[in-house]
Amino acid sequence: MENTVSFEKNSFGKRLKSMIRVDLSRMFKSKLFYILIATALLIPVLITVMMTMMDGTVSKDPQTGVETVMEGPDNAWQSIGTLPTEGDESSEAPSDGAGAMGAMGGMDVMSMCNINMMFMLVAVFICLFISEDFRSGYSKNLFTVRADRGEYVISKTLAGFLAGTFMLLAYFIGAMLGGAISSLSFDLGSLSILNVVMCMVAKIFLMLVFVSIDVIVSVAAKQMAWLSLCGSLGAGMLLFMMVSMITPLSSTIINVVLCIAGGAMFGFGLGIGSRAILRKTSLV
Amino acid sequence: MNAIEIKNLTKNFGEKQAVAGLDMTVPMGSIYGFIGENGSGKSTTEKMICGLIPKSGGSITLYGRDNRDRDVRASVGVLIEAPGCFPGLTVFDNMMLEAKNLDIPDAESAVINTLKLVRMEGAAGNKYKNCSLGMKQRVGIAMALLGDPTLLVLDEPLNGLDADGMRIMREVFLDIVKDKKRTILVSSHLLGELQKVATHYGIIRHGRMIREMTAEELDADCRTYVALKTADIKRAKELLLIKYLRVEVDEEEYIRVYDSVSPEEIVSYLYDMGICVTEIMTDKIGLEEYYIDLMKEGK
Repeated sequence: MENTVSFEKNSFGKRLKSMIRVDLSRMFKSKLFYILIATALLIPVLITVMMTMMDGTVSKDPQTGVETVMEGPDNAWQSIGTLPTEGDESSEAPSDGAGAMGAMGGMDVMSMCNINMMFMLVAVFICLFISEDFRSGYSKNLFTVRADRGEYVISKTLAGFLAGTFMLLAYFIGAMLGGAISSLSFDLGSLSILNVVMCMVAKIFLMLVFVSIDVIVSVAAKQMAWLSLCGSLGAGMLLFMMVSMITPLSSTIINVVLCIAGGAMFGFGLGIGSRAILRKTSLV
Repeated sequence: MNAIEIKNLTKNFGEKQAVAGLDMTVPMGSIYGFIGENGSGKSTTEKMICGLIPKSGGSITLYGRDNRDRDVRASVGVLIEAPGCFPGLTVFDNMMLEAKNLDIPDAESAVINTLKLVRMEGAAGNKYKNCSLGMKQRVGIAMALLGDPTLLVLDEPLNGLDADGMRIMREVFLDIVKDKKRTILVSSHLLGELQKVATHYGIIRHGRMIREMTAEELDADCRTYVALKTADIKRAKELLLIKYLRVEVDEEEYIRVYDSVSPEEIVSYLYDMGICVTEIMTDKIGLEEYYIDLMKEGK
């Protein structure tokens, strides 16, 4: 009897493929994913309809006597970004929806609740998705047969990226639906539909930056979902204002390239960091 | 070739040294019973073998290769502490997920066959969170068996299993190592059950291997004793202690005389002292008693 055993050679590509299959299968079977997509779809519909209904409503502070005018959206694109005003190309750049802030101290919910919220919502998905691996003990099965932690990091980043893309698209659809229900204008003014497409593509690639941050925070926190949520949302808030500047509604190919470069840089750099954390720390 | 070879393995958790220079050799094709008290470092060692926690020092080789080798590790089945299953998914979905993780071709039939092996095919549609402790343990074992691993690392796999479950597991373990290619490392506190299947043993204490032996060596090491029953246990024990060095009463109220002595001699001696022996036999101590003795010696 021969006292040897031969082991099948598994290429990195093959191992990565099976890891991605596991994560996608889990993602599409997870209730959380569908709840977040539904949330992403409903938020813009509700906000747009509600804000349109409340447009022009004046509320007065009984102590200071200051009057606040509720200002509704001017057009259907306001949930995605701000349309540039005539002769002022830069006015849309500072922040999505911020340009709609009422001149008389008006309340503008749209400046806070816009498509960029999805960069925070994806953190909820990634933190819970990764911490579940550790809480359930499934990480033991995964990491026993996967000596290289790189596959895990890449797969989780891709799953998060995909989830984020779905959320952005769901929000976009919701914004359009909300606009249609509220009979808002779909006029893009000086912009073209190509700018909107570029804006969305840029946002999708920028998602990779946030996803990479969420992944590294989550693998460091492991089963402590609360810690990864706090860390990811905290880091996300620091970068939140950057999103509207990099991906305005008037985005061009330059914005897309910038976002691809940023996404790749963060994805690669933080991916190496995540892998190192998984290699050096206890996984159970 | 050895399935597992560990040399001078150490693991520190801050100030505490959980594993302190452990040496261990698990031959290929064996069922290696890994025994030790709670906190002796068994699970920590198993986790290090599987690469789940980094070691502080020493070396671990699996089939002659470093335990970080991707190809070897892809062929390790594991059940450590509790099965790694998602509570919200069904047993079948959890198994399918693991089959995808292992990239098993024809995953569905592999899952069904493995569930049949542990008699869990009827509960495949149950949500994992609704399974009983014994059922969960069976799922964990099925998951470890999926993909026909070359090395199985099982930590307390018999916990929560009923008598039938334990019998099935014994049959499964024996079947796995039949071809002498596959190896099982199993830690358990159910020493009686372990003794029925193990071919090799390793006893760990305070993170160090204190004894490694084959089942044959254990058998040779296990002392014989004479067990007897009388109406007056207390007096009989006192009398026997005058003549013999080690006399104990077990939980079934048998008096055990561990010295090399014939049953006839004891019966004759007690009869002379006015005590009637109602039952007498010779037997060998089991793994459990051997282990307890060893621990007492250490203390």
